[in-house]
Amino acid sequence: MSAYRHSEQSRPPEARQITEVAIERFDDVFEVDPKLMSVHVVQQVFPNWDTLRIVASRHDHLDWMHSHWAAKVISAQALLDEIDD
Amino acid sequence: MTVAPQLAEPVLDDLRQVLGDEHVLTGKAARFNRARVPAPFPVHRWAERVPDLVVLPGSTEEVSEVVRIANAHRIPIVPRDGGTGLTDGAVPLRRGIVVDVKRMNGILEIDEVNRTCTVGAGINMLKLNEVLAAYGLIYPDDPASYPCSLVGGRIGTSGWSLIGSRYGHSRDLVLSFDFVLPTGKVIHVGDGAGRKLSKSSSGYQLKHLFMGHQGTLGIATEATLKLFPKPEAELSPFFAFPDYDSAYRTVGELARAGVATFAGAVLFDEWKVDYLRRDDEAYIPQPADVRALVCAVAYGYEDEVIAGGRRLMRIAKENGARYLGDEVSEGDWAARHDRYATPLHGRVRSGQVVPMSWHCEDAAINYSELPQVRLEWHEIVRRLRERFDMFDDWGMFTYTSANTGVDYLTEIDVGIWEQRLDDESWAAWVRAKRDIAEVALRYGGSISACHGSCREGEVDLVPQELGGGYDVMLDVKRAIDPNNIMNPGKYGLDRAYEPDGGSGS
Repeated sequence: MSAYRHSEQSRPPEARQITEVAIERFDDVFEVDPKLMSVHVVQQVFPNWDTLRIVASRHDHLDWMHSHWAAKVISAQALLDEIDD
Repeated sequence: MTVAPQLAEPVLDDLRQVLGDEHVLTGKAARFNRARVPAPFPVHRWAERVPDLVVLPGSTEEVSEVVRIANAHRIPIVPRDGGTGLTDGAVPLRRGIVVDVKRMNGILEIDEVNRTCTVGAGINMLKLNEVLAAYGLIYPDDPASYPCSLVGGRIGTSGWSLIGSRYGHSRDLVLSFDFVLPTGKVIHVGDGAGRKLSKSSSGYQLKHLFMGHQGTLGIATEATLKLFPKPEAELSPFFAFPDYDSAYRTVGELARAGVATFAGAVLFDEWKVDYLRRDDEAYIPQPADVRALVCAVAYGYEDEVIAGGRRLMRIAKENGARYLGDEVSEGDWAARHDRYATPLHGRVRSGQVVPMSWHCEDAAINYSELPQVRLEWHEIVRRLRERFDMFDDWGMFTYTSANTGVDYLTEIDVGIWEQRLDDESWAAWVRAKRDIAEVALRYGGSISACHGSCREGEVDLVPQELGGGYDVMLDVKRAIDPNNIMNPGKYGLDRAYEPDGGSGS
């Protein structure tokens, strides 16, 4: 466990430009390029832990939705591998 | 509080006597929050849609009493369930009383032997299924508003389900229901007299008449539903294609394959993929040659889903599909059950982000006509966006409606910067909606597969779509609702009360 430091949490990692309209600061977490949110949408400081919490919550929600509808999710990749064999 | 003169005491006293003080709401928040739904809404004229009063009945008898009082005083009534509909069914056009049925959310019976349950109309399908899971059962009515829409609203709109190709839609899944007519009389509607019959040939088939009326004929209060075994397994592969034509060919073959566990297929066109590339985590990193998408979904026992799944995967492969992988496929499909949680923003022409509301125009279109309808619809939205920089084309989906691939729920999603709406841009939007509906009819489709067609714009074309059937609608409305109190102003049904009685007389 690492110590919580406010200054670290309010300074997001350097952005990597993924496409003309999207950036990536955390692995596989894509954000709209802030340049496109400079006229009509006000930006706010967002703690890093909260960004990651929201992403994790979304995954939890999707996992919950799968189990809500069916006991098991079949891997389509496994079926495709069978066909390819 | 200010209410319409006909709603002043002693009518309020009568309502409070029936419902109790706490279930008669006159406050501003209660009324303004029940003025709109997620359908296109002229926010600059919000105040015109606010009801005078909201009531929260707790039983069929209470609903009946409220309606009797309203009918006696000629006060408009608007039934409201989840308020998630994408047409104007739950929007009051003449103020009056909104009857919100959310308190009627009980599970009254679970019949494991006959595989049915009986519920209050105010129950949500997700909450119902949480209870049914303990019995190994499921009620598979699955709209994009699954976490927030209610059984009564599904009856009032004759809802469409994402997995209807496997299990049917609301009209198939609702076996029967108690229904309060505009006079306050309570009837039971189903196949024949039974509550739990799926097929009867006795008398007129009234169930369909009292589904999808958008609250113009009465209020469903209690329903008996068909249940299925909760699926053991789910399969939801997503495929990428370099062009629309390949994706279109594939979705047709998947839908026509006759796989028993096939629950639905979805086709995303080029505009939809472009939209998803802006801000959807699954599609931002996709290579540029991904131009269209297809997903196919299957539910059932594990062995049958695997067997059917092999066939579906083989069809996709033979059509040149590129599988997007388990993570993207499973994540995207799970999110389809809950589209109302999607973040809402769009782009003005400069590319800058603005807050936008999601508006979805739908139609029922045969498979053979999908490509041309798609091009004409996008052209309508392009022209609209050219004139008013507050509309954004978010692309099109088409979903299978049945297990043979005959027709598709076809929708174009349009972002609207609602705060910028004024009378001129609203009028242009209404014209665009009418043009979209006109294209659907010209290609032999229906104005709506899913949402209903009583909004400004497309409603003008309903008489053209239904022909002599619309005249029968006028006659039915006048016979069942002699004082036009039930959701007046919808579907152009006011003309049933004109001196000549509408053209059907």
